[in-house]
Amino acid sequence: MDLNFTPEELAFRNEIRSWVADSLPKEISHKVHHALRLSRDDLQGWAKILGKKGWLGYGWPKEFGGPGWDAVHRHLFEEELALAGAPRIVPFGPVMVAPVIMAFGSPEQHKRHLPGIMSGEVWWSQGYSEPGAGSDLASLKTRAERRGDKYIVNGQKTWTTLGQYGDWIFCLVRTSTQGKPQTGISFLLIDMKSPGITVRPIITLDGEHEVNEVFFDNVEVPAENLVGEENKGWTYAKYLLGHERTNIADVNRAKRELERLKRIAKAEGVYDDARFRDQVALLEVDIVALEMMVLRVLSAEGGGKKALDVAGLLKIRGSEIQQRYTELMMLAGGPYTLPFVHEAMEAGWQGDQVAAAYLAPLASTYFNTRKTTIYGGSNEVQRNIVGQTALGS
Amino acid sequence: MDFEFTEDQQSLRDAVHRWVDKGFTFERRHGLAKAGGATRAVYSELAELGLTGLAIDADHGGMGFGAVEAMVVMEELGRGLVNAPYAAGALVAPTLLSGAPDALRSQWLTKIADGSALVVLAHQERRARYRLDRVEAQARRAGDGWIVDGAKSVVPAGDEADAFVVPAVHAGTIGLFLVAKGAEGCGVTGYPTQDGARAAEVKLSATPAALIAEDGLAAMEQAADVGIAAVCAEGVGLMERLVELTAEYMNTRKQFGVPIATFQALRHRMADVKMQLELGRSMSYYASLKLGEPAAARRRALSQAKVQLGRSMRHVGQECVQLHGGIGMTDEYAGSHYFKRLTMLELAFGDTMHHLGEVSARMQDTAGVFA
Repeated sequence: MDLNFTPEELAFRNEIRSWVADSLPKEISHKVHHALRLSRDDLQGWAKILGKKGWLGYGWPKEFGGPGWDAVHRHLFEEELALAGAPRIVPFGPVMVAPVIMAFGSPEQHKRHLPGIMSGEVWWSQGYSEPGAGSDLASLKTRAERRGDKYIVNGQKTWTTLGQYGDWIFCLVRTSTQGKPQTGISFLLIDMKSPGITVRPIITLDGEHEVNEVFFDNVEVPAENLVGEENKGWTYAKYLLGHERTNIADVNRAKRELERLKRIAKAEGVYDDARFRDQVALLEVDIVALEMMVLRVLSAEGGGKKALDVAGLLKIRGSEIQQRYTELMMLAGGPYTLPFVHEAMEAGWQGDQVAAAYLAPLASTYFNTRKTTIYGGSNEVQRNIVGQTALGS
Repeated sequence: MDFEFTEDQQSLRDAVHRWVDKGFTFERRHGLAKAGGATRAVYSELAELGLTGLAIDADHGGMGFGAVEAMVVMEELGRGLVNAPYAAGALVAPTLLSGAPDALRSQWLTKIADGSALVVLAHQERRARYRLDRVEAQARRAGDGWIVDGAKSVVPAGDEADAFVVPAVHAGTIGLFLVAKGAEGCGVTGYPTQDGARAAEVKLSATPAALIAEDGLAAMEQAADVGIAAVCAEGVGLMERLVELTAEYMNTRKQFGVPIATFQALRHRMADVKMQLELGRSMSYYASLKLGEPAAARRRALSQAKVQLGRSMRHVGQECVQLHGGIGMTDEYAGSHYFKRLTMLELAFGDTMHHLGEVSARMQDTAGVFA
């Protein structure tokens, strides 16, 4: 047992740290550190900087042009980016669809899609949820009918995060109604410029346009865009879910945000109030415990040891912690977080601040963060899975 | 970064596990508790396994093992619901004695290692609650030696111990003194405890004592941290076994014609129990791996660990009783005794609220495992 990183890992961390310090535009990290609104250009600009270095697909193996890092190195990379105030890498391309294309896609699909994902040039969206298929994803109804060398797609996806920027979308579609719902699903790559696709914004409770509805009306998709085999899509989707085990905890961002919470609490004069401060202390313990759990998983993943079956726990705890620090930030700001001025969430806004600029986004961030226990498999679904493991029945 | 146990550590775990399986059944434990809670014979069996010398160097007849080995032993003792004063005698006491004058140290460490002496820390005072720096007992010089006056409470296995390490104030400084149980003016009143063992009130009036250290607060803090790490590891073992018992029960107990494990309301509670167990295990590792850090970082980490384990132990204990239903309330069922031991551990070396205060007071601008 050893809590320390090796000298090589520490040197790697320093390399990443100095590269990020040189490469991450200050105007972007300023927005991240202050929870201000990030534009498409901010997100994609940073993706392209990473892409140029060959690190956008930081989880990719060498054979597909990735750095081939192990779990500990990936963790250190994520940590350095998070602490420096880099935006979260938009995961749909490099983290989600790319591993599926690598594992199950054809050589032609590798050649066609992977370079654009790695460079950050092509923006991918995810087409999973539907109005009638949330936690029960396998009940999805969007149909893809094979006609000659094409699929004709009809139906609706929803909660498509940042779908307004999407060039391509990977979708789970129904290709068969025989047998169990899971066995009739296929994994399809769809060009979002195809005729018959309509993207409509969903404005969330924080007033932001982050998610969308995507409608498919007789959309023609070349059959070559099917990944793997027809009706095997559910298997590929599960592979995708199992691919990133520790990232879902987002513990590195939690550490950064805890530091911000302390700064806000100090500025608002509640850091020395024992009732408030103890809540921060509890959160600090929660975050150390989560980080230790993440490190245990990383250690178990190295060297092919027995994997720890705690992915569900990491999702539940990580999401609860995200909600807690956004909640405490809002409580620290108190009544001064109530003004709801859309423009105040922009960097460099010159309008009158009610109190201080750092207070403007706190309530909106709190409201927005209620999503974390809902998406990615709701925490109640995660508890079903964890309960099954614990009970063995 | 490595959280695997070595083969030697695994063998150590197996050895303790085998002894528990054969030598410390629940029936034996229950019988001992009914007979008053004496556990010195059990402690001697641990000594025969060599475990009382675990943390003592080879020169004094010990094994010279470190914090991870101690953690492994404590986890297994926890699983087995072993209530002999192992942590107090074999882990905390040697830490307290490490700074003693050579002759005194050698004399007692050798006896602790072979199990012939049980030495325990007697620090609890009525008005101190969990503060190690609040000591009312007084020490004064008498000729070449020392004399101590004071009263110490809830001393683990107090009436079964051979000697006590006693903090007492001399010239405004907290010193550490060794008091033999039979010494003049040393009155010991024992009683059974909630976890089926024993503790005692120790009253010292002009009792002769041997000086361990004139300035002993730092050593006592370090020993308390060793105790916290032991409590954390024992708690993990206790929780692990209690969760297994609860899962077994839920899979066999039927109501409304089906095993109660099929009910989602209960499955989700079980998921939360599993969460607290794994968070607790993570922070128990943290506690043991941080024991070697400089005092400030060590104290902060151990308080963080005790906050997590305190919450985990209470949650798991309470929930597992609830998930059992009525049977969880009975004295004849092992599960209720796991709950009681977990509860006692939360109150050992500072409860959750006390350590939350410590974490709160020691917070820095940065946070995390490596902060």
